[in-house]
Amino acid sequence: MSAFAAVIRKDLRLELRGGQSILALLAMSMLVLVVLVFALDAARIRSADTAAGALWVAMVFSGIVGATRALGAERENGAIRGLLLSPLDPATLYAAKLAAAFIFMAVAEAGAVILMVLFFNLEFNASLVRLAPVLMLGALGFSALATLLSAATGHTRAGDMILPVLAVPMFTPALIAGVKASTAALSGASLGSMSDWLKIMIAFDVLFITAGYLLFEHVVGED
Amino acid sequence: MDTATRDYLTPDPLPSVSQTRGKGNNRGSWFGFATLALMIAALFMIFDYVPTEIDEGIVQRIFYFHVPCAWVAFAAFGLVAVAGMLYLWLGDQIWDDLGYAGAETGMIFCTLMLVSGSLWARPIWGVWWTWDSRLTTTFILWLMYCGYLMIRASADDTPQIARFAAVVGIVAALDVPIVIVSVRLWRTIHPAVLVTKQGGHGLQDPRMIATLLVSLAAMTALWGWLLMIRFAQLRTRTRLNTVAMQIEFAHAAAGDQRPIG
Amino acid sequence: MSAPVVETHALAKTYRLAPVLREVNIRLMAGRGAFIIGGNGAGKSTLLRILAGLEAPSDGRAIVFGNDTRKLGPRYRRRIGMMAHQSFLYPNLTARENLEFYAELYSIADPVAAASLWLERVGLAGSADARVRDLSRGMEQRLSAARAMLADPTLLLLDEPFAALDAEGVSLVASLIHSAIERGASILATAHSVPELDGLEFEVFELSHGRLMPYAPKEEVRRGGRFRSILGR
Repeated sequence: MSAFAAVIRKDLRLELRGGQSILALLAMSMLVLVVLVFALDAARIRSADTAAGALWVAMVFSGIVGATRALGAERENGAIRGLLLSPLDPATLYAAKLAAAFIFMAVAEAGAVILMVLFFNLEFNASLVRLAPVLMLGALGFSALATLLSAATGHTRAGDMILPVLAVPMFTPALIAGVKASTAALSGASLGSMSDWLKIMIAFDVLFITAGYLLFEHVVGED
Repeated sequence: MDTATRDYLTPDPLPSVSQTRGKGNNRGSWFGFATLALMIAALFMIFDYVPTEIDEGIVQRIFYFHVPCAWVAFAAFGLVAVAGMLYLWLGDQIWDDLGYAGAETGMIFCTLMLVSGSLWARPIWGVWWTWDSRLTTTFILWLMYCGYLMIRASADDTPQIARFAAVVGIVAALDVPIVIVSVRLWRTIHPAVLVTKQGGHGLQDPRMIATLLVSLAAMTALWGWLLMIRFAQLRTRTRLNTVAMQIEFAHAAAGDQRPIG
Repeated sequence: MSAPVVETHALAKTYRLAPVLREVNIRLMAGRGAFIIGGNGAGKSTLLRILAGLEAPSDGRAIVFGNDTRKLGPRYRRRIGMMAHQSFLYPNLTARENLEFYAELYSIADPVAAASLWLERVGLAGSADARVRDLSRGMEQRLSAARAMLADPTLLLLDEPFAALDAEGVSLVASLIHSAIERGASILATAHSVPELDGLEFEVFELSHGRLMPYAPKEEVRRGGRFRSILGR
């Protein structure tokens, strides 16, 4: 357990020392939102649909960028080998990496939500409180998926194209459910009314966290 | 620490030429002829035997291609996942070869399903593509096939890549049920003529059911035949690699001092 | 007659059909040390990585602490310490933070104290709070040695441990190796050429064309050079 905490603490510390993961996530989110404002001419409308959709587009693309950089810190000086060599078991390493990725994504999403409210003519009200759990479930699922996939994408020649090609279709159920639930939340609906969508997101998260936990050992490392 | 050498075990003897002919090839040809027969039967039934459907007219006959392709695409994906699990568990290259062959052949049928779906949608609904639940799900499946094949195509065939592909195959297959549920909840405008979960279907005439079943058998046979061929190719490639390594080790045992690389 | 700490049987490794290691047979007993000499690309690093369980052999077996290296459990990995070309250190963390992190990974009881102790031992107490990226190559190498040894491993796999070290650093690492052997650890180290180490009894082997054989530099013997080697056996 303490090794798990040590890895998370190490990643958080590295981030505070100029890791720039959260910064990259936020920057990408903002850029995507800006592009969408112009692409959808959002200036003249006030719509929960559009805002929720834009937010999730920003989340997916910034998440991909973030994941591509994620294992970079471990590649410097071969630190990943130091981890694999140690008594730390790969499943625990996965859990720790997942937790760190989730924290970064959650922080960046908070920033993205603020931008969304500003750019898409919404209000800072209680609907954001109902939005929060939806976004957390989404970030958790995406982090689980991306942590598992990005561990191995470094070995392929396709480089950074392969992560989005894999991640986007696999993330679709959470994306569909997330946008629907987010729209409902922003429109003032209760969490109970979107329970179907939430159940899908929870199932998605459980599936990918479990799969990642069990399968990470097969993809991490170099042979 | 000592470095005593030991007797090196002789590598597996290569099969003689006469052994490579015969069995495998004969089995393949038999299966190929059976597939051909089934396909001819299916084509006859689709274009001549089965009555024209009332609502959609002649175009509806695409249904008898479209649905079996879908079945094969999903079944192939299941095979990729199972082969992946066996590969990770047992480590034998044969499972990796099977998974790869399954993905390549399954991709063909997934693409055919999308194309036939599009050809069907155009006359019926007036658009080239529609995001109804079944087409959407298949498209996502198609994208996952693309990702799997991209992994394979983009790197050399190391055990590492094979493991990555296996993991992706497993996770994607586990994801498919969630995709189906979420997409179905999201949208449904597919005509009720297809077999639905309740078990009912819009196929009024028993000849339609028969045609569908024969077409299903034909498509599955076609897939099986392509799978066998591709699988055999990959097995041969694996064996060649093994033999090359064994030659290398035999040189080593004979005291070969050739430099590395 | 106890079991060897490290054993390999006809170990071989090929990368994409190009052989790197051919038929390597090793038996290393507890408390013994050996140096493996070889040029660049000779396969020394590959051999150590296989023994550490980081890579799998293409053929043959590697057995460490009685277990196949492909299935080394955490209990055994705790007893291995490794130094490589890469330091396995995080450039943006300080020397102290790196050691504390590894101490926690290896379940050492008091990681803070252990980190301080080892910083002293490798002469980096003054740079304890400097980031690794700001350390010189030699200092990073010393820190890497501390990282490798802080869990008191019984098997040390050292890939060119004296690279980038000045004379003081070399004698420091040599004395650490010496203490480790006195504690009963086994050492397998590699180098480009035979290191000049007083007070260390090592067997020297050469990895050439992927094969491991006793090191027999006839010129040095004739010149009466200062190295210890047990030829033949």
